[in-house]
Amino acid sequence: MQMAMGKEKRQRAIKKNLVAWCFLLPFLYFFVNFLLYPILKGIHLSLYDSTLGGSQSFARLSNYIAMFQDKNFWNSMFNTLFFVVISTPTIVLVGFIFAMFINSKLKGTIFIRACLFSPYVLSMSVVTGLWIFIFQPYTGLVTQMTAKLGVGEMYWLNTKWLVWLAILITTVWWTVGFNMVLFLAGLQDIPDEIYEAARIDGANSRQILFRITIPMLKDTITLVILLQTIASFKLFGQTYLMAGGGPGTHTKTIVHYIYETGFTNRKMGYAAALSFAFFVVVFLVTLLQNKLLGSKEE
Amino acid sequence: MQRIKPGRVVLYVVAYATALLWLFPVLWMIVSSFKPYGTPVSILEKVVTGVFTLENYGTIAEKAPIFRWTFNSLFVAVIVTFGTILFTSMAAYAISKLDFKWKKGIFLLITAGMMVPIESIIIPLYQNMADRQLLNTYVGLMCPSLAAPIGVLIMKRFYDSLPKDLFEAAVLDGANAFQRWVHVCLPMSKSSMAAVGIFTFTNSWNNFLWPFLSITSEKMMTLPVGIPQFQGANLSEFTLPMTASVVASVPAILVFLIFQKQIIKGIAMTGIKG
Repeated sequence: MQMAMGKEKRQRAIKKNLVAWCFLLPFLYFFVNFLLYPILKGIHLSLYDSTLGGSQSFARLSNYIAMFQDKNFWNSMFNTLFFVVISTPTIVLVGFIFAMFINSKLKGTIFIRACLFSPYVLSMSVVTGLWIFIFQPYTGLVTQMTAKLGVGEMYWLNTKWLVWLAILITTVWWTVGFNMVLFLAGLQDIPDEIYEAARIDGANSRQILFRITIPMLKDTITLVILLQTIASFKLFGQTYLMAGGGPGTHTKTIVHYIYETGFTNRKMGYAAALSFAFFVVVFLVTLLQNKLLGSKEE
Repeated sequence: MQRIKPGRVVLYVVAYATALLWLFPVLWMIVSSFKPYGTPVSILEKVVTGVFTLENYGTIAEKAPIFRWTFNSLFVAVIVTFGTILFTSMAAYAISKLDFKWKKGIFLLITAGMMVPIESIIIPLYQNMADRQLLNTYVGLMCPSLAAPIGVLIMKRFYDSLPKDLFEAAVLDGANAFQRWVHVCLPMSKSSMAAVGIFTFTNSWNNFLWPFLSITSEKMMTLPVGIPQFQGANLSEFTLPMTASVVASVPAILVFLIFQKQIIKGIAMTGIKG
């Protein structure tokens, strides 16, 4: 009797498992084939001396060793880190200021919010195309304005440090709306009573900002900073389309270098090693994010 | 009655000025697209005065397969969106409400998958697609987007919040697992599915890196890949690339204007970055 019941139970369990797997299978098919497998394949590939459509031979860790000695790798890593360092504080700060605009209950807030957010829905190609017309030499909108103001001709996209400023402005314009919305959600979670109580106690707006708003937004600030850091690490389209990584290799980022190594120079094995290094860096940042956010939730 | 404080006035001026400054490039793009061929768009007086015409829209259609690109973008985005909504909802339902072996492991794997930026797997992904002969195909364009784990996490979080009683009642009524998904989960999760769908659509519509790598045939290009190429070939004719950009942006802008609330709520809820 008991054995029969056990058997029935087992059968029911098998059926349950089967049903669940039917629900999982469609997603897992794509997940395994087009995300999981490429990750493993990439790690495998990075151990080979392999060319696109060509030969393959086992190379142990030589790709990684070569990477550490590769000036171009360090240069592109430096450029990427440089952008992370200049863009993250800027975009986070501007996003915060914009969220404060929206949160101060002005008339027509919905219009302001729509204006500030709208660039975010545009495609990167459209955004870069637009800003090329703003920054390009001779006929660019800003170029002509600065020429009229007597600053002289500025070659935004061909001048060493100016090009970063142009790319920073473009990126801020394009993506700041996203951070603004995250901050806005955080701001709206702060109960009005706290502000009122502070005002009754005679706190001025600066004290309210630094003693109430910012401390209460801590979780949001952490989230925004880390999401922005990761997004900045992935920089490629803006620098590639607006400046071609130039002048020289001045704006060549790590993703650009991976692309160039793999697709232009067809060194797939080496490109896979670069990708893995890139992944490790981003992964560590993400891990840090989850750790910081997770410890706050408890 | 509240007195108007000077600080408030300054805030109004700064906020509106910033908003208009932010909107300006988009307006400039749209207005320029209606200016006759050869208008120097960087001279603003010439953009706002003079003749307006639709001729650029005809010209770009002749010069580049822009409607084909629009169709490609739309076709890929629509299928990816519906596929993502369906598959992530099913997977999330299994993880949230059904029992099976290795449940924790599978969920952990999917969560970990979210941490992998597509930029770091483009090399093996490309080889994989080349082996399967999927480069320059619609299927090849769609597959990597369908593998994105974020939708599963959003849907799971929502299903976790549904009360247990609902499912227990459905079991008592004799509903099987499939019926519980169709009759309990799907009707209740419309807003989460909408959030996932809107994001998937705009991300797919604007997706650059993968189409840029996997598509070489002009006929198979999506707008984000076709536009820079078109602009590169017509850099001196300002109005034409502007017009192409408008065509590429209209669907995304429409989706934004219609679903503004849901998009903003969705971001706030999940913090998805495209």
